[in-house]
Amino acid sequence: MDYILQGLLKAFELLITGNQETYSAVFASLKASTMSMIGSLTLGVPSGFLLGYTDFPGKRQARAIVDTLLALPTVVVGLLVYAFISYRGPLGDLGLLFTIPGIALAQTILVLPIVISLTATAVESLDKRFKSTLMALGAHGKQIAVASILEARHAVLIAAVTAYGRAISEVGISMMIGGNIKWHTRTITTAMALETGKGEFSTGIALGIVLLTIAFVINSMLTRLRKRSL
Amino acid sequence: MNEIPFYRITGLTYRYGGGRFLLQIPELDIYKGTSVGIVGPNGGGKTTFLKILALLEEPDEGTIFLNGKKVDQNDYGLKRSITMLLQEPYLLKRTVFENISYGLKVRKEKQGIAEKVHSAMGLVGLSPEEFSHRRWHQLSGGEAQRVALASRLILNPSVLILDEPTASVDQESAVLIKEAINAMREKYNTTLIVASHDIVWLNTVADKIYRVYGGRIAGYASDNIISGPWASDSDGLWKSVLPDGQVIHAATPPDDSGEKGLLDPSDIMISIQRPEGISAQNIIRGRLMLLSQENHSDKLLARIDIGGFSMTSRITRKAAESIHLFPGEDVFAVFKASSIRWQ
Repeated sequence: MDYILQGLLKAFELLITGNQETYSAVFASLKASTMSMIGSLTLGVPSGFLLGYTDFPGKRQARAIVDTLLALPTVVVGLLVYAFISYRGPLGDLGLLFTIPGIALAQTILVLPIVISLTATAVESLDKRFKSTLMALGAHGKQIAVASILEARHAVLIAAVTAYGRAISEVGISMMIGGNIKWHTRTITTAMALETGKGEFSTGIALGIVLLTIAFVINSMLTRLRKRSL
Repeated sequence: MNEIPFYRITGLTYRYGGGRFLLQIPELDIYKGTSVGIVGPNGGGKTTFLKILALLEEPDEGTIFLNGKKVDQNDYGLKRSITMLLQEPYLLKRTVFENISYGLKVRKEKQGIAEKVHSAMGLVGLSPEEFSHRRWHQLSGGEAQRVALASRLILNPSVLILDEPTASVDQESAVLIKEAINAMREKYNTTLIVASHDIVWLNTVADKIYRVYGGRIAGYASDNIISGPWASDSDGLWKSVLPDGQVIHAATPPDDSGEKGLLDPSDIMISIQRPEGISAQNIIRGRLMLLSQENHSDKLLARIDIGGFSMTSRITRKAAESIHLFPGEDVFAVFKASSIRWQ
């Protein structure tokens, strides 16, 4: 038990003294997850709206595919993206392998089904009178789409937070695409895996505390936003 | 009337409820600035009809002309001249101010929004200081209904369609809604189309009231409906038996629209004594239950109970006075078999 306690104390020391290696991993994680969240929201919210709002041939099949992709394993995404952006792959010239944008690209693919599915569910759950009301007030086309997303904003926020949580806590993609390069692509999760493997519990616990703190802050922000919008 | 009707509907049919119900309006004209009431049982097609008039639903067949022009469902400018308040109004998850101003925003009107919102709130009796910043869930049912109405009034529509606007509101809200829509009509010559179960309230806002029944316009609200089954009788007449065993005769056979005979209250005379030596085939005994003043006319409406079946007669005040008519008396409703028509 002592080594766990010592690890915990050391963790606080690393955080309080501003240990550069620890903070490098924290910032790499935040950067990659934020980029992937922006990417997934940009693509996922309109796609989710279309999936939830419109009727088209094959809609049920499309919905089933999106829902299946919710359980997409990170290593599968990592493998596919690696194949595409490795120097021999079709997107190799972009130089994304072992970079933060490369990790963000793969994380975007990972969390995109979450954003699409939750947005589609939110739009489908809107009150039946909502569209008639908007039409009776003179809205049409794009105005109805924008108002629907605004009306479902709580659910879209939940989708964003869920996506962020999934991106920041994954390890497979960061390891395969980022390569766990110190000072460069080493993220919280890859650093934790590495440090734990080396028996350096203190760094692992410190990074774990940061990860939990980020989750706590994000959830607190979400709760405040929901209260304000009520 | 030489004036072009604001609404002209010809040959309208619309299937709804998964094709189980059919709305059929062969012909209807509504003139600019008039106020038309609609009554009828639930499921009779009132809401569907209103949604078609509001251009929220497209009929399967038939044509709607607005101001002489055939309606194009993609003409959003035209659609924006009509607005409808749904039976159970929905407020956006925003503040009262944002709800009321939403229609102006989608019209890209940016000038004087605050003044217009405050004016619309005043029309429905809501204080801007007290209610502007309230959120949708901080309102009572009556307040929510008035916010929804204000969000329509602010648009200054040519046609305002209201579906059961007083169904779930208190007495005070019902009065405020009536005053607001009457003021709107008086000020802007707005055409009003209002469906309500509250016939007394509806009488205070509508010039004439149609009855929508079984997907059709079945005459006026004051018309008596005599249900079947109708069977052929002697002398080529058709008969329907009332709950107390008395028989009503019709001169023509029922059509295939559901055996509902319509009887205009003006075609029914009332007598205290059983009349003798008259040609009318129908002399029905009942009890006078209610004598009331008809809206927008100098006539009286007499409601007669015939063993649980209610019949209304329209009579002049002079006629009522001449036979000393009082509620509670036994009377005879007298009318010709040819007065019964089919919807």
